[in-house]
Amino acid sequence: MRFLGISFVSFLLTALVVANAYYQKKQFYPSVVYITKSNPSMAVIYIQAFIGVWIMGKLMRKIFFGQLRSTEFEHLMERSWYAITETCLAFTVFRDDFTPKFVALFTLLLFLKSFHWLAEDRVDYMERSPVISWLFHIRVLSLLLLLGALDMHFIAHAYQSTVTKGASVQLVFGFEYAVLITVVINIGIKYALHSVDLNSETPWDNKAVFLLYTELVMGLIKVILYVAFVAIMVRIYTLPLFAFRPMYYTIRNFKKAFSDVILSRRAIHNMNTLYPDATPEELAAADNVCIICREEMVTASKKLPCNHIFHTSCLRSWFQRQQTCPTCRLNILRTPAPPTNNNIPGAQVPPQNAAQNQFLNMFAAAGRPNPFHLFNQPPAAGVNAAPRQPPNAAGAQPQAPEQPQPAGTAQPGQGPNNHVPPNFMPPFGFPTFPFPMPFMAPPPMPPANLTTLSEEELRNLEGNERQHIEARIQCLRNIQTLLDASVQMMQQYSVAASIATASTNRPPQSEANLANNSTTSPNSANPRPSTSATETTANSQNDMNGAGVSNSEDEAAKVATSSKSSLMVAEERDSGETGVPSTSNGNSTLSPEEVIRRRRLQRFLQQEQEQH
Amino acid sequence: MAGSALRRLMAEYKQLTLNPPEGIIAGPKNEENFFEWEALIIGPEGTCFEGGVFPAKLTFPPDYPLSPPKMQFTCDMFHPNIYSDGRVCISILHAPGDDPMGYESSAERWSPVQSVEKILLSVVSMLAEPNDESGANVDAAKMWRENREEFSRIAENLVRKTLGIPQLLG
Ligand SMILES: [Zn+2]
Ligand SMILES: [Zn+2]
Repeated sequence: MRFLGISFVSFLLTALVVANAYYQKKQFYPSVVYITKSNPSMAVIYIQAFIGVWIMGKLMRKIFFGQLRSTEFEHLMERSWYAITETCLAFTVFRDDFTPKFVALFTLLLFLKSFHWLAEDRVDYMERSPVISWLFHIRVLSLLLLLGALDMHFIAHAYQSTVTKGASVQLVFGFEYAVLITVVINIGIKYALHSVDLNSETPWDNKAVFLLYTELVMGLIKVILYVAFVAIMVRIYTLPLFAFRPMYYTIRNFKKAFSDVILSRRAIHNMNTLYPDATPEELAAADNVCIICREEMVTASKKLPCNHIFHTSCLRSWFQRQQTCPTCRLNILRTPAPPTNNNIPGAQVPPQNAAQNQFLNMFAAAGRPNPFHLFNQPPAAGVNAAPRQPPNAAGAQPQAPEQPQPAGTAQPGQGPNNHVPPNFMPPFGFPTFPFPMPFMAPPPMPPANLTTLSEEELRNLEGNERQHIEARIQCLRNIQTLLDASVQMMQQYSVAASIATASTNRPPQSEANLANNSTTSPNSANPRPSTSATETTANSQNDMNGAGVSNSEDEAAKVATSSKSSLMVAEERDSGETGVPSTSNGNSTLSPEEVIRRRRLQRFLQQEQEQH
Repeated sequence: MAGSALRRLMAEYKQLTLNPPEGIIAGPKNEENFFEWEALIIGPEGTCFEGGVFPAKLTFPPDYPLSPPKMQFTCDMFHPNIYSDGRVCISILHAPGDDPMGYESSAERWSPVQSVEKILLSVVSMLAEPNDESGANVDAAKMWRENREEFSRIAENLVRKTLGIPQLLG
């Protein structure tokens, strides 16, 4: 209403000015001259022009956007304010060619900019509304085409002008419209992605990735544009202060897009290598609603070390932000994937062998002599069916073991049998291996619970134990010089193992490991670790891997953390077994506190009803 | 197919409509934009906010539920954990690491396992038991600690205001 009043008054004033001029001069040209010569008349004309632009803006907004939403309006106001201050700053640089035409061009630039902002917000809105009409598509498409065409026109104009007349304020316009055209392209790509997503029958998981890369590429182009512009301006005029704020934000956005892409890549990598796919049985056993999107999990789900299962895509976007389990907040970078050797094919390689392979790999990579050369490799035990490390005592050059590896052990922690990822570092702070360390694996310890084993398994175990001891005695003869070091290692390991045995108490799993052990031959001089010690190793292992720390400083702290996390795992399992499955309505995941709170609320409502 | 944030918000809205928790009403302001909700919270029984009906608005980020929504009461509030402009400051509305107050443990922080319902229930419990270590409203925190009577009187007036009942004097 107020706007209507103002435009009416302005229109009236303009009419008066024009009528007055015409009345005095009677002819067209003299009247025009009269008006341009008179300052008050010109002021009225300028105001009228400004109001004309305003009306034009309103009209275009009506056509292309309809009613603006409040957030869109707030954004528009906020950005306009900055843009206007920057334009004023730009005026100071070009004060020499300050003409009405110049002001008009800047007004037009601002005017078009605001439509770019609105289009950006409007396209983002596509993700927020379940009702996207045909009108919406038509509006967005025609607006984008119009804006793109205008931007291109002004870029061409600026280019022509700069080429023919030399550098002028047109340089700024050319650059500004070039930035705007990147905005149009960015919006266009987003619009296309959203439209494809809206029209697909199934959720499109990779859209987020496409958006990330779009953001990255467009960010890069903008940064290049800004840097080039500032460089040119500094050479020809002066430091373009007015471009600094947008340049700063552009660079910041680019940095963010860049780190997002890196985080996303890392998340995808972790997803593909560290965590096993949830099996259909696991999906069926658990309440199979993904806690992130609250939708059912049918396929493409991943299981974390804490046994919580999520959609692969949901987990990926979450891991871009935080490396924790969304449900139990277990820091997954500090926890190994759960060993589930018994239910997946390709798990036949006993951990022992895998571990030894890793050691050999590591030594090979380090270009050091294979420490196992020192040992006589004992013959395979009869029961062993698994592939075994071929004796390579003859080889002078350390070789990576040729043992056929199941795909699962080829990648860090991939697959079920990932006790030891490849770039193995001993968990106890021997960063550079002053001399070969034979006792990479901890010494054997009695199995945690013999009661769960069958008669036969026990007998097997007994036989193996005997062979282990024989093998060890033989080795010990060969390695007297290394005894001191190994004793030290063993002490450290026993500390770790005691922490781990205290915290890890997983009967089914130890049984699995033991079963595995019983089918393994005593492998070279490598003493067999106990279940818990293996886990500790693996834990500290993954710690380092995950955190990207190559060698470590505070090993004890790490061991403590990892055993803590295994504690959490144990707790998690317990709760998983004993009940409180999370269900879709979220009720059963409520803490007791909340349950009480709800009862109170219920009572409160009942009382109120009684009162009425 | 709609985006995942939108689908999850629609699922939560459906859940809240089918199975409304007592004392709480919440839903989108209009069903064309699921990222702006309004909620009505009934002051919990046995507290100085008892009986009040407090309107609030929830604003969801585009990446919900990876990031938490923002919540702001749209009526006058006087509470240690509510800023004077109505913004609510409780740990469930902050992601771990984003710590305006520095006192919150990460256990009750935002994660996708939380939901609108849990947020609103936490707000109800916050109304019942303010956390006076939080400095969202220092005056309210101080009054809550030192002059509970005056605090109750102010709260009572707020309740009356939301119900459109004349204010107590004093
Ligand atoms: Zn999901
Ligand atoms: Zn978990």
